[in-house]
Amino acid sequence: MGNEIFVNAASTTPATAGASIRISRLEKRFGSVFAVDGVDLDIAAGEFIALLGPSGSGKTTILMSVAGFEFPTSGTIQVDSEDLTYVPSNRRNLGMVFQNYTLFPHMSVLDNVAFPLKMRGLPKAERHARAEVALTTVRLGGYGNRRPNELSGGQQQRVALARAIVYQPRVLLMDEPLSALDKNLREDMQLEIKRLHAELGITVIFVTHDQSEALTMADRIAVLKDGKIKQIGPARELYERPANLFTAGFIGEMNFVDVTVESVGDVVSVGLPWGETWHLPATAAVDAVTAGEAAVMAVRPERLRLGAAAAGQVVNVTLSDIVYAGAAMLLIGRLPDGTEMRARIPGESQLSSLAPGDAASFTVPAAAILLYGGKRR
Amino acid sequence: MTKAVRSQFWHSDGRRLSGLSTMLLLLPFFAVIAFVFIYPIAQLLLISFIEPHPTLDNYARVVDNPVYARVLMRTLWTAAVVTVLSAVLGFPVAYYMSRTKGALAALVAVCVILPLWSSVLVRTAAWSFLFQRNGLINSALMALGLTSQPFKLLYTQSAVVIAMTHVLLPFMILPIYGALRSIPNDYARAAAVLGATRLRTFLEVILPLSLPGVVSGSLLVFLTALGFFITPALLGSPQEMMISTLVSKQIREVLDWPFAAALVGMLTVFVTLLAIVFSKTLRFDRLMGGAS
Repeated sequence: MGNEIFVNAASTTPATAGASIRISRLEKRFGSVFAVDGVDLDIAAGEFIALLGPSGSGKTTILMSVAGFEFPTSGTIQVDSEDLTYVPSNRRNLGMVFQNYTLFPHMSVLDNVAFPLKMRGLPKAERHARAEVALTTVRLGGYGNRRPNELSGGQQQRVALARAIVYQPRVLLMDEPLSALDKNLREDMQLEIKRLHAELGITVIFVTHDQSEALTMADRIAVLKDGKIKQIGPARELYERPANLFTAGFIGEMNFVDVTVESVGDVVSVGLPWGETWHLPATAAVDAVTAGEAAVMAVRPERLRLGAAAAGQVVNVTLSDIVYAGAAMLLIGRLPDGTEMRARIPGESQLSSLAPGDAASFTVPAAAILLYGGKRR
Repeated sequence: MTKAVRSQFWHSDGRRLSGLSTMLLLLPFFAVIAFVFIYPIAQLLLISFIEPHPTLDNYARVVDNPVYARVLMRTLWTAAVVTVLSAVLGFPVAYYMSRTKGALAALVAVCVILPLWSSVLVRTAAWSFLFQRNGLINSALMALGLTSQPFKLLYTQSAVVIAMTHVLLPFMILPIYGALRSIPNDYARAAAVLGATRLRTFLEVILPLSLPGVVSGSLLVFLTALGFFITPALLGSPQEMMISTLVSKQIREVLDWPFAAALVGMLTVFVTLLAIVFSKTLRFDRLMGGAS
């Protein structure tokens, strides 16, 4: 029943089922450089997945391989268990939206949207009718006669979106589609894309270097570095319990303190640089830590509390900066060994009495502490 | 107009140049143009109307005598054929140049540009050497047994067309290359992922977007071809004169300056009309506004 209502609500265009995608041991070498270094990725039908990473992390190369613009050095790409690894782009039947819209400037908006249907041999009347429906889906009905350069950046990207879905592909690839837009438009478009994804049930691979975009939009996020997937999971998991130091530092803000592991058991004891020993619950250790070896303690700035409280560890800092940041105050302090420790405290009036140079104490709730084996680079 | 010009000139510190400084900067250029181009042309055209006495007789002679009309038509026709030939031959070269990188691309670019560094006279003389009765082309054809006696190649209209096409080819290739290079790579990729084969990507996207380059190349070649002198004079048949050879003959042999001036006047009118028609009908600037 619920399913039927959903389909009817989305009846502006016929609902398309997404395809599942399986990327296995994908490798792409340029000379001796690995752009993609053994990536395995299983994407469920209808899933919205974001590839997130700094530039040069291989996220774009993966997308280009799925689109068929690059052929991998080794590995396979399957869509609905059909091997597409070496199939040319024009026979993959995938939708794609580029960063710079790539609307053909010599065609009207309607002809742009109808272009993929023309390539598929549909008669003119039918492809124009379907293009108009697709334009209505992205809320640009009636704009068909205009030229692409007569539209704003956001409208152009919506046209590109209509053009990418008009032939009902099973997969939609997006290569930083919002990075050319300004902030407000970007947020509108994020919602627009989410809405289309829900309406069409299409599988989406979304490449971005903007972590907040990835966190808000995707069902799962793959964090990439140096051609490898460092972690893949839903936003909450990535943010609350990053699997490694790279993800911990890459997603959101994080305080790091170098420590030495003293004993391991139900309680993990760590020695802090200024001689104190803290006893942490065993769940704090994200990877296996060994007694006597170095480890890194991580804690999010918004989990810290100002002042000494009963529940948690207390650190004493010397404040070096107090920054008003709207919803919260940012307090930047130095630990006794000089390590920086940031705290984001929701605005309270007593904070206004604080000044740089003051001594203060932060409470770190035990549940907020994560422990990683090894050292920071 | 002045406003548009003024806004293009800036001090190094970011201030806009005043109107007066702009004028002073542009003055030398306009002075040269005025003295070496506008003044002599105006004098020549003036002669066609006032000598031997104020009259339109010189123009009447051009129109009345079918021989001269034929020369004018032949000139336009030759220029058109040369333009089409160089577009057909030049486009693939420009396309190849825009697709290639590295040493090979540099080599092709040098091959295109190098002929521009030698004089038209040298290149035309080289062609006359090839076209001779016992020149390279004829001896090759005979050695291969394709013909038993040499063809008449030199002093024909075909020789003129072939040599002019060769001389003018770079002026077609370079604008087309420029237009092709300015088409972002993603257009071809977008077309491909939307289902277009390579051929359709070319026909539906690349070719239309490169048309501005084809149009400017064609204008350059066509207008230059209309006034071409050395190549028709050295390789062409005296029975099939082009307008430039006719004008030269009138000035140097017949010494009929007013009539030569009238011929130049007719050509100028034709060229101006063509330029206006081109700029009015093909508004590529408007079409291309969104290409980014």
